Formats: sequence, structure tokens, C-alpha cells
Amino acid sequence: MKTAITGTAGFIGSHLAEKVLSEGHEVIGIDCFTDYYPKDYKLNNLTNVLKNKNFSLLQTDIVNCDLTSVFKKVDIIWHLAAQAGVRASWGDQFRLYSDYNILGTQRVLEAARVCGVSRLVYASSSSVYGDVNEFPMRETTYPKPVSPYGVSKLAGEHLCMLYATNYNLPTISLRYFTVYGPRQRPDMAFHKFIRAVLRSETPVLFGNGDQTRDFTYIDDIVDATWKAGILADAVPGIYNIGGGSRISMNDVIDLMQDIMDQPIHPVRSDRQKGDVRHTAADISAAAATLGYAPKTVLKDGLSQEVEWLKSIANGGIYGY
Amino acid sequence: MAIKKDLLDILVCPKCKGVLELTDSADGLICHACMLNYPIIDEIPVMLADEAVSLKKDADKSDSE
Ligand SMILES: NC(=O)c1ccc[n+]([C@@H]2O[C@H](COP(=O)([O-])OP(=O)(O)OC[C@H]3O[C@@H](n4cnc5c(N)ncnc54)[C@H](O)[C@@H]3O)[C@@H](O)[C@H]2O)c1
Ligand SMILES: [Zn+2]
Repeated sequence: MKTAITGTAGFIGSHLAEKVLSEGHEVIGIDCFTDYYPKDYKLNNLTNVLKNKNFSLLQTDIVNCDLTSVFKKVDIIWHLAAQAGVRASWGDQFRLYSDYNILGTQRVLEAARVCGVSRLVYASSSSVYGDVNEFPMRETTYPKPVSPYGVSKLAGEHLCMLYATNYNLPTISLRYFTVYGPRQRPDMAFHKFIRAVLRSETPVLFGNGDQTRDFTYIDDIVDATWKAGILADAVPGIYNIGGGSRISMNDVIDLMQDIMDQPIHPVRSDRQKGDVRHTAADISAAAATLGYAPKTVLKDGLSQEVEWLKSIANGGIYGY
Repeated sequence: MAIKKDLLDILVCPKCKGVLELTDSADGLICHACMLNYPIIDEIPVMLADEAVSLKKDADKSDSE
């Protein structure tokens, strides 16, 4: 089949592209290499797929390019391109979130509709929930995002639903819960923490460390995302994709000390505006419809991320 | 290691949606209407109007030189 992945050079998009190619499908990858973090990371993410004859990369921006020409013969679209990051979404920067996450999503949906695409998978986020009172978070819980980023991702979800109900474009929104593993974005907590330790710097912990997250390993995310695109009987709608367990940042740091075999003493800083207190996913809907079952426990996944960061540190690519 | 034919077929000028022509050295895609050359770097077509090279300017430049 012919498929397209937006945001293909990013953390999740590059892993997904590898999976789709390994299943023998063609991938048109779209990415404009936003400067949110350096292009070197993203080019490195693409090392494997660029060698594959079934992969083509377009460096273009979903807000401006003619997507109808690109999606002409495409069956499945995985729409992952977005301006990520909760903390950067306040103030003037919001323009990027509004352009890329809302307008960009509408443009992808519109082109998908015109081209008669058979399935569109949208990378949504646990950030749409905000601070809820009841755990685990269910897809039916009323979403009340606490960051402009969460608002933009929720708007994208609503647009997906509109195209599904008004135009019969089958859309599936996956609410990813904090994703980690090799290639994790350099602005994310695990990456920053591990990098700091490897450089003998002091990592910064926001808040008192009691905040909990449902961390999800990249391979589990890719598995769910792949299935949402390919399974014929996957019902359009919204699905939580979590890692299956919830753990506090303090406990993560303990685990990191074990894995890296050295003491870690972070400096504590104020909790950041837009950060939620806790996340925990009810994944029963994804289990029932997509056969989703997370396989990687935090200790193993974290070890993989540490190994990856060590390997790129040795390569000297990122200014280590 | 040339740019894929499939990819050439689906690409249009991001500005005017018009057809593009591959340069002889296969390192760019030209829109004659907009007088722009979209570079192909390491086989990756850069379809961003901001990054395109104006052919007009080139012509002006070489005139004055
Ligand atoms: N990483 C997580 O924990 C997490 C959690 C929830 C949801 N998500 C969602 O998953 C998706 C992928 O996230 P990621 O962590 O891989 O981020 P990432 O920043 O690594 O990848 C996103 C990619 O999209 C590209 N992009 C952004 N705007 C674009 C545009 N207008 N046109 C073309 N390309 C554009 C960027 O250059 C980048 O390579 C995003 O939609 C994000 O909101 C991620
Ligand atoms: Zn043109």
C-alpha cells in the first residue's frame, strides 16, 4: 500500500516509518524540519529509512504545500507533524501551535478527504485531559487542557471527528501518554536528565517530583499507531495509548540511578505552568479495538534510552 | 541515487501549484511561472518557497557581472 507520514523526521514519526517500511509498504514522508530542536537529530533519525527504496522524503510544510498532489494515490495517512512541547506553548510562540497543530491538521484532513484516503491516524496527546479528578483517564472524561499546546491538540482531534462524521473519512485519534525511548526529543524530561548525567551536569527537576506520569515506550506507541492505520476493523474514534503503569518522577530518578550506576542529585525548580499533576491512561478501549497491550516495562525502556544517548554522545554529533 | 520518479510525479510548485521541471544536473526543480528553483539536497526535494532560489535574481546578477 501507499502511505504517508507527516512529521516523519521526528522522534515518533521516524520509528513509525521504519515499522511501515518493514511491513513492505511505501512511505511518503513529509517534514519541514522545524527548528524546535536541531535538524541534525532529525537527519540522524532518518538514517535507516533514507536507504530504503520504498521511502521518499519531502521537505515541505503542511501549512503551505499542495497536499492534494501528494496524497493522490495514498491509502493511509499517519498525521504526526505538530509543534510539540507544553511549556513553550505560552505567549507569542502560540502562533506556531495554532498554525501547525490546528490549521495544519485541517489542511491534512481536507486533502485526505479530497483524495479519498481510506484511513487517517492522528497523533493526539494526554495533554488534552488537563488536571482531572478521576484516575485512570478515560476517553469519556471531559477534556479540560491546562496548556495552550493541549488546546491545540484537542482542536485537532475535534477536526478529525468532524471529517469523520461529515465526510465519512475514517479518522482515529490516539492520545499518547508521555513517550520515551531512543530518539526521544531533546526537550523531554528523560532525555534532559540522562544527558545531564552523562555530561556530569546537574539535572533540573520541575516541581517536587511527586508528579506522576504514565510513561509509554516508543515500540508500544509504534505498535498501536501501526495497528490504528492498518487494521480493517479498527473503529474510528479516540483511544488512549498509555504504558500501563504510573510512576512518580522521584521514582524514575531512583530507577535512573540504578541503571546508570551513579547517584543523581537534581536541583529542584518551580513547577511549570501548563504541566499537569498526574496522568494515567485507561487503555481498555485500545485493547479491545486495536488489540493494544504495552510490552515494555520502564526499567527496560529507560535502559534503551540511556544506551542510545551514550551512543550518540560517543559519536560526538550533538556537541558532547 | 537519483530522485525517485514517483516523487517527481506528485510534486508541484508550492506557490502556484504549477508543474516543475527537473534541472539537467538533477539538483533542483524549476517552476518557470514563478521563476524559482527548488533545490534537491541529498535527494530530498526542499519544497519551501522560502528556500527556493530565484532565477530572476540569478539572471540579474549575471547581467551586471
Ligand atoms: N513525544 C510525546 O511524548 C508525545 C505525547 C503526546 C503526543 N505526541 C504527538 O506525537 C507527534 C509526534 O511527536 P514527537 O515527539 O515525535 O515530536 P517531534 O518534534 O520529534 O516530531 C514532529 C515532527 O513534525 C515536524 N513538523 C512540525 N510542524 C510541521 C509542519 N508544519 N510541516 C511539516 N512538518 C512539521 C517537525 O519538524 C518534527 O520533525 C506530535 O503530533 C505530538 O503532538 C507526542
Ligand atoms: Zn510556481
